[in-house]
Amino acid sequence: MNGLRTEARVAMAIARKDAVAELRGRHATVSTLFFAAVVLLLFGFALGPDARRLAEAAPGLLWLAIVFAGILAVNRLHLLETDDAALEQLALYPVARRAIYAGKALGGFAVMLVLGVVVLGAVGILFAVDIASAWLPLLSTVILGAMGIAAVGTFYAGVTVRMRAREVMLPLLVLPVLAPLLLGAVRATAAALAGDPFGELGAWLQLLVAFDLIMLMAGAATYGFLLED
Amino acid sequence: MPQTTIYVSPRSFGRPDARPPAVETTELARLFAGSAALAGVTLRVEGGRSVALLGPNGAGKTTLLRVLATILRSSYGSARVDGLDVVRDADLVRERVAYLSHATGLYDDLTARENLHFAAALLGTEEPAARVERALLDVGLGERADDRVRGFSAGMRRRLALGRILLGRASVVLLDEPYAALDRDGMGLVDRLLAAWKEVGVTVIVASHATDRLTGLLDGTVTLDRGLVTAVSGAGVTSVAPTLGGTRAPAPEAIR
Amino acid sequence: MKTRILGFVALAAVVSAAIVGLFVVPPDLNQGDAQRIMYPHVASAWLAYLSFGVTAVGGVLWLWRRDLRFDAVALSGAEIGVMFTAFAIWGGMMWGRPVWGVFWQWEDPRLTTTALLLALYVGYLLLRRLTEDPERRATRAAIVGLVAAIDIPIVHFSVEWWRGLHQTATIASPERALDPAAPMVFVGTLMGTLAAFSLAWLYLMIRRYELARAELAREEEARRGRLRAVQAAAANLRSQEEAAR
Repeated sequence: MNGLRTEARVAMAIARKDAVAELRGRHATVSTLFFAAVVLLLFGFALGPDARRLAEAAPGLLWLAIVFAGILAVNRLHLLETDDAALEQLALYPVARRAIYAGKALGGFAVMLVLGVVVLGAVGILFAVDIASAWLPLLSTVILGAMGIAAVGTFYAGVTVRMRAREVMLPLLVLPVLAPLLLGAVRATAAALAGDPFGELGAWLQLLVAFDLIMLMAGAATYGFLLED
Repeated sequence: MPQTTIYVSPRSFGRPDARPPAVETTELARLFAGSAALAGVTLRVEGGRSVALLGPNGAGKTTLLRVLATILRSSYGSARVDGLDVVRDADLVRERVAYLSHATGLYDDLTARENLHFAAALLGTEEPAARVERALLDVGLGERADDRVRGFSAGMRRRLALGRILLGRASVVLLDEPYAALDRDGMGLVDRLLAAWKEVGVTVIVASHATDRLTGLLDGTVTLDRGLVTAVSGAGVTSVAPTLGGTRAPAPEAIR
Repeated sequence: MKTRILGFVALAAVVSAAIVGLFVVPPDLNQGDAQRIMYPHVASAWLAYLSFGVTAVGGVLWLWRRDLRFDAVALSGAEIGVMFTAFAIWGGMMWGRPVWGVFWQWEDPRLTTTALLLALYVGYLLLRRLTEDPERRATRAAIVGLVAAIDIPIVHFSVEWWRGLHQTATIASPERALDPAAPMVFVGTLMGTLAAFSLAWLYLMIRRYELARAELAREEEARRGRLRAVQAAAANLRSQEEAAR
């Protein structure tokens, strides 16, 4: 129990450090928010101007924008650690490796959450989707989706951070793994927007919960191998 | 202003005669994409001794330190720190080792004080606030404590990284070119740190080119060249030439 | 030698399975001759899953035992698995064109799952290519292979669900032959094809593994040779110095 408390403290310290650096340097959030906005605009051009078609496609566009921008954001959070070999320093501390993973994933989750909420709002405005009346299921979906992307993205950023061709390899590895998350999140969003006529929302949210838990456990169990190089 | 005494938290090492060698490597070798950074180093450094690691660029000094610090796995051979295997008991070794690398591993967007607070949290330092303030003063960064590290010179970053080591309770300190980028004041700081660690019985291994400066401060020297120990002198350190081609793999059955 | 015999046996088995599948078994009542593609298609899909399982296990064993031979097993599994996956997708598309009218049927969970599998493991192989140090490569690959294997059932499950909860029309699936109601001759042919393909799979796995291990041994010999050369040069220098003294 004591060990777990120490690990939680370590994870919080890492996440807080990332958050402070993020607020000051605005490495991940601002640039990726802008990126997500541009992606949404281009989706609009690609599928518009028929408003009904855009509204229909909105759940898919929302999550594609979040996933693409999210990969950039998580990569950025790991780059923070490669400036001046901070990841190596992080590996030197006498703390559980899974606590380091938890901290990085938590930092990623915070960034992803901000990203998800803002992109959701933007989709509501741009594609004339009524998000206000279904805000609770939508927010739950965004939270679960953000957690999954942070869990997987942190893990794969750890794999690729010291690799050649990192910018290509990260999305290449992450996107297929995220397919179930994308599927679940899009369906949950669509169900929530439609008022859940078939009662399928709960099932999709459960899928997201299962995905998040499995990926978090896998990441926590294996991240240590990535730190010793 | 530089302090006259540096606060190094005391450590207990048990009975001196029962203390295992601080560092013990056996036929340690590491290859990077074909070239040998270490080619079979058998080295023993006694506990509480301070040793200079000398040799030209590319001799394998950094590789040796990184293996001892648990952040690089050797290709062949084994290494122990305080009697603990750096691979099998990596967790325990990390509690005993501090390592200052070429890079300082600091976060540019945090202030000097925040960087140390972060380190203290991960090192599990007791009374972190007081220790951080003391470390900042000891490395001469008291006045710049609230400035972000981004604006620091290379020398100031190095001072801060040294301050980070002061927060821990390592019994073996590994320093890679600690004098690099430091001004005369800063070099004096490293000298006083070396003396302070020696005082409390901390083992120190310093990779450096500053041979003249280190004689007198340290007990012994090891010279590496092309991944092998070519000379050993002074007290507290011994080495054996590798048995030709007898370098043993960690898993002897690895290839058949 | 034994491997070569296995190779010939596997070749003969695959050829016989092809003859039986193409000429002996009667065509399916609904799907006609297209149904014949199903035999190699299903067999290769199953073997692809098996290969990726082997990759995951090999990776875990590497992490545990630190023996590069396990990494060679993992690599063999991934390469052969990608081959069988690609073959399965190709077969599925060839089958889909006459039966569904399109090459790609989004509503078939197996096809879409298999495509994601291909993406996952092509990424795995690329990752290996981009890491030079054999031990780093083995570690990164082991972890990625493990997570990919964990992801497979989630992908499969979610895609199945996606279709199930969103169903528009009942469609024919290549696995129809496995229906308990299907004629025995179809089931028998499928099982025979699977057996033949399994033999071929085993032969390919052994051959790929031997190749990987030969490469490992060569790399290892080169590494040791380099170490010996460095040590010999140093010993030489030492004895010269002693002689001069």
